[in-house]
Amino acid sequence: MTTLALTLLGPLLAALAILTLRRAPEVLALAGAGFGFLGAVGLFVAVSGGDPLTATLPFLPEFPIRFIASPLTATLSLVVATVAAMALTYATAYMRKDTERVRFFGTMLLFVTAMQALVLSGDWITLLAAWEMIGFASYLLIGFWHGRPGVAGAATRAFLYTRTADLGLYTGAFVLIGAAGTSEISVTLATTGTPALVAGLLLLVAAMGKSAQVPLQDWLMRAMAGPTPVSALLHSATLVAAGAILLIRTAPMLPGGALLAIGIVGGVTAVITGLIALAERDLKRLLAASTASQYGLMLVAIGAGAPVAALLHLIAHAAIKSSLFLGAGVFQHDRDGTGLDTLEGAGRARPGIFAGFAIAALALAGIPPLAAFFSKDAIIAAALESNAAPWLLPLTLAGSVLTGAYMGRALSVLWVGEPGPVRASVPFMAIGMGVLVALAAGLGFGFGALEEILGAETEKPGWIVPAMGLAVGLGGLALGWFVAPARLLGPLLVPARNGFVFAGGMDGLIMRPALSIAAACEAFEQRLLGAQIGLIRGLGLGTARLVNRADGALLAFTLWIGQQSLRLGSATQSTDTNGIDAAIFGLVRRMIAAGAQARRLQSGFIHRELALTAIGIALIVAVLLAAPYYS
Amino acid sequence: MPLLTLATFLPILGGLALMALPNRSARVAHGISIAVTGLVFLITLAIWSRGIVPGGFAQTEEIAWIPAIGAAYRLGLDGLSLPLVLLTSLLFFLSAIYSARISERAPSYVVLMLMLETAALGTFMALDGLLFYVFFEVSLVGMYFMIAGWGYEERQRAALMFFLYTLLGSLPLLLAIIGLYLSSGTFDMRVWIDAPPLTGLAAMLALIAMLFTFAVKIPAFPVHTWLPAAHVQAPTAGSVILAGVMLKFGTYGLVRFALQMTPEAFAQAGQVILAVGVVSALYGAFAALAQSDLKKMIAYTSVNHMGYVVIGVAVAALSIDPRIRVIALDGATLQMVSHGLVTGALFFLLGMLQDRAHSRDMGDFGGLLARVPWLGWAFILSAFASLGLPGLAHFPAEFQVFLATLNTAPWAIIAILAIVVTAGLYLRAIAAVFLGAENEKWAEMPDLDRREKLVIVPLLILTVLVGVAPGWLIDMIHTTMASLSF
Repeated sequence: MTTLALTLLGPLLAALAILTLRRAPEVLALAGAGFGFLGAVGLFVAVSGGDPLTATLPFLPEFPIRFIASPLTATLSLVVATVAAMALTYATAYMRKDTERVRFFGTMLLFVTAMQALVLSGDWITLLAAWEMIGFASYLLIGFWHGRPGVAGAATRAFLYTRTADLGLYTGAFVLIGAAGTSEISVTLATTGTPALVAGLLLLVAAMGKSAQVPLQDWLMRAMAGPTPVSALLHSATLVAAGAILLIRTAPMLPGGALLAIGIVGGVTAVITGLIALAERDLKRLLAASTASQYGLMLVAIGAGAPVAALLHLIAHAAIKSSLFLGAGVFQHDRDGTGLDTLEGAGRARPGIFAGFAIAALALAGIPPLAAFFSKDAIIAAALESNAAPWLLPLTLAGSVLTGAYMGRALSVLWVGEPGPVRASVPFMAIGMGVLVALAAGLGFGFGALEEILGAETEKPGWIVPAMGLAVGLGGLALGWFVAPARLLGPLLVPARNGFVFAGGMDGLIMRPALSIAAACEAFEQRLLGAQIGLIRGLGLGTARLVNRADGALLAFTLWIGQQSLRLGSATQSTDTNGIDAAIFGLVRRMIAAGAQARRLQSGFIHRELALTAIGIALIVAVLLAAPYYS
Repeated sequence: MPLLTLATFLPILGGLALMALPNRSARVAHGISIAVTGLVFLITLAIWSRGIVPGGFAQTEEIAWIPAIGAAYRLGLDGLSLPLVLLTSLLFFLSAIYSARISERAPSYVVLMLMLETAALGTFMALDGLLFYVFFEVSLVGMYFMIAGWGYEERQRAALMFFLYTLLGSLPLLLAIIGLYLSSGTFDMRVWIDAPPLTGLAAMLALIAMLFTFAVKIPAFPVHTWLPAAHVQAPTAGSVILAGVMLKFGTYGLVRFALQMTPEAFAQAGQVILAVGVVSALYGAFAALAQSDLKKMIAYTSVNHMGYVVIGVAVAALSIDPRIRVIALDGATLQMVSHGLVTGALFFLLGMLQDRAHSRDMGDFGGLLARVPWLGWAFILSAFASLGLPGLAHFPAEFQVFLATLNTAPWAIIAILAIVVTAGLYLRAIAAVFLGAENEKWAEMPDLDRREKLVIVPLLILTVLVGVAPGWLIDMIHTTMASLSF
């Protein structure tokens, strides 16, 4: 219980403290991340041997908020806490000169809190809420430098396009809650049949949005507008990870049809975004495309029925990708940019940072004994064993070759060229990055123990799978290092550079149709308004004649019903300021004289008011007369 | 102590006292306004502390009025009306604080506001059909003068349109009330609810009449057209009261009258009412997306948000699962309160922006977040609340409405598309007004002052509180909804 609270409240309280005290944001941020990390470690230790920990808080009458720390969720929580702590350590140096550090660290910690809530959620409402909160926090972080050109658009798109896909999560959760009668995730996972298939496909849509799977990959590349530590966190263990985490957690429920769809989407994404990464001319955007491609591989594993392999790759990727981004941030500081042209030789100038970057790059390519070697082999093995192997295996292998190729290209750009000058030394950045690189290198050796804790072991491959994995990794690296992307990609270069958008991409598929519907509604609105005004006018004038013929008794009766409207009518006639004052302060006086006045109000709008009231009276009379017959 | 009566009539008494004063300076007028609305707010808190009871009305106050026709002065509360009463007294109090800078004919303005408050509280607490109708109509008069006297450029036209629409709209309700009276012999709404007097065709006709009245007030497509015009031209406090309190007359009536007094007919017409809700939700969202006038945009989002309420009530009538019914009604009622808090905040903020810039067009701004961070962040928070972000007020309400909808009438879940459209329009407005390069024109714009913070901060706190821990509010609603028989 304490550890669960510490994991969630550490970052949350730190965020609130930063935003209210508005001082010493770095210290508070590190303290919050540190407590969160301690909590996550405690949580992991506590549940790795025993029963899951749960906590329930009141929310809606039938739907409380539930948190659950099982071996799976505690592992994810530890990953999040670790990467967050390192990214924040790095950020204390990276953001040193920024005047808005309070806002930066406050938002970062809110983001971390939301992500912890997501991985530890025990019911669908908490998961959904956390899911949307990380979307909101990333909107704020991507839009952090909101005065710069293009930033507002990038943040807006990131939120909008992921939220469009979130409709899948909303409806999927509604289906599951409706079928199971409770919002508790563990109970809903027993759902079978059509509801399970429908929910599975809906959840896939949500995961595609968050994990930037084809065709929803576009927003992720644009999201590079934020500060680099943000990218490191977004791309490794948090925002993008949410999609894969959702599917890993719901994997026990997913029926064959949904698994096949997940596998195909993942495989296609691994290849398409791999090609995009290879064609990129900007290091951060290259890494972003690579993120989408690696999450594609994780989806392949889930689709092949091996969610544990996906989890291992997620963990390895979290350490690797955050290292790569933090390295890229150092080079960015030296060269004031992340274009590959500007970065030529930047690695040679900082051999230490470059070594870290290279270890992480080799790890991602699947070179033994670095972390992703093990996880990627598990994915290849799963694809090979799966029923859909003819589809999944080629896509997986192609995705792995491309991984090697774009990492090889990044390394060659950073190494080949003039070293150039470096700015000041960067101890905090190096610490944050160093820890993550060490993890990227060594995590693989812990995977066996982790599988035991999770109680789900991956296939132990023979020699064919590792050989295949190593061959595609090394082959890809060599291709990327020695061959220019233009020659590698050939006719695919231009579409890859454009991010393989079709029909104008998300803007063309969603935004423009929405705006034209809006314009059509607006045009309709004007006609509707015109028609209604015409109707009222016609009614008023038509019945005015009737009123003229009505006798005094009717008028007096009218007053009984419509005293207010009569007075209003007179004020309408003269809505100058004095008229209104007089109308109000004369209220009492008029009460007495009202009866007499009624007969004198005979012109202008009064006719219409009277007419309306008269219609009412006529109807009332009709009802009164008819009453004996229907009651 | 008859707290309900006290809360209802204290405002108008304050207004009369002001009229009787020899010194009617703006200062005195606003002083009275703030004191009275503040006191009324405290009284409603006391009413809240007395609590409600499941399965009926609590704290009833009754005096004979016209015994010959069975009309009496009857007030009372349940879990549907109490949250709205609290919302009303809060929004009037904050409006009084906000309006303290109005110097133009201040005493008249204050009297109108106080009269409106009496009408609004009376509408929510009345348990007598005739009394309800009187309060309902008086509010119309107050709002008419408010728009015509203190509005913007085209206020006369907007005020007239508002008046014609709602007057025309409210006549059918009178017919329905008379119909209910004739078949039961009393105006006691409790009798009408406990044993719905109308059946068959008569019930359906009464329902149609009531639906027409409330659809105009809610407002639902296609009789919503008065709302944008009225909102754009209304003074800030008028917009806040109109959106925050008066639109709730429609949704309150939809539950209290249409659903509770003609339940069978309502269930028969359920799919049609549901369709009206779905179309309103989607149409309101898309129409809002087409606006560049910020106030008009927020006005259309009200059509969208009130559409969700209609959906929730219709789903409750259609569902045969008692759990789903309660979830739908809990959600719909909570949505009324959330909308009052969030849209109230948004209209206040737009008023503050317009006071500074004398413009409401989003194209005129840019980069204001760096210039006026308080205003900017308050707007961003409110906008995200309005687009349904979890952790803020609309989420728990909309979640319940949509959950019930998918499990009752799956086709109607298409209304959920509107949450993406509203996200789009709010993000676009935020980007246009507050992000991007700073517009030189507003380099001198001051941030919120103390009075303005005093108005906006309570609403923001409540928005977060309802989003994070809605228990204190939803439990009250749930008590009534779980025991509702219809």
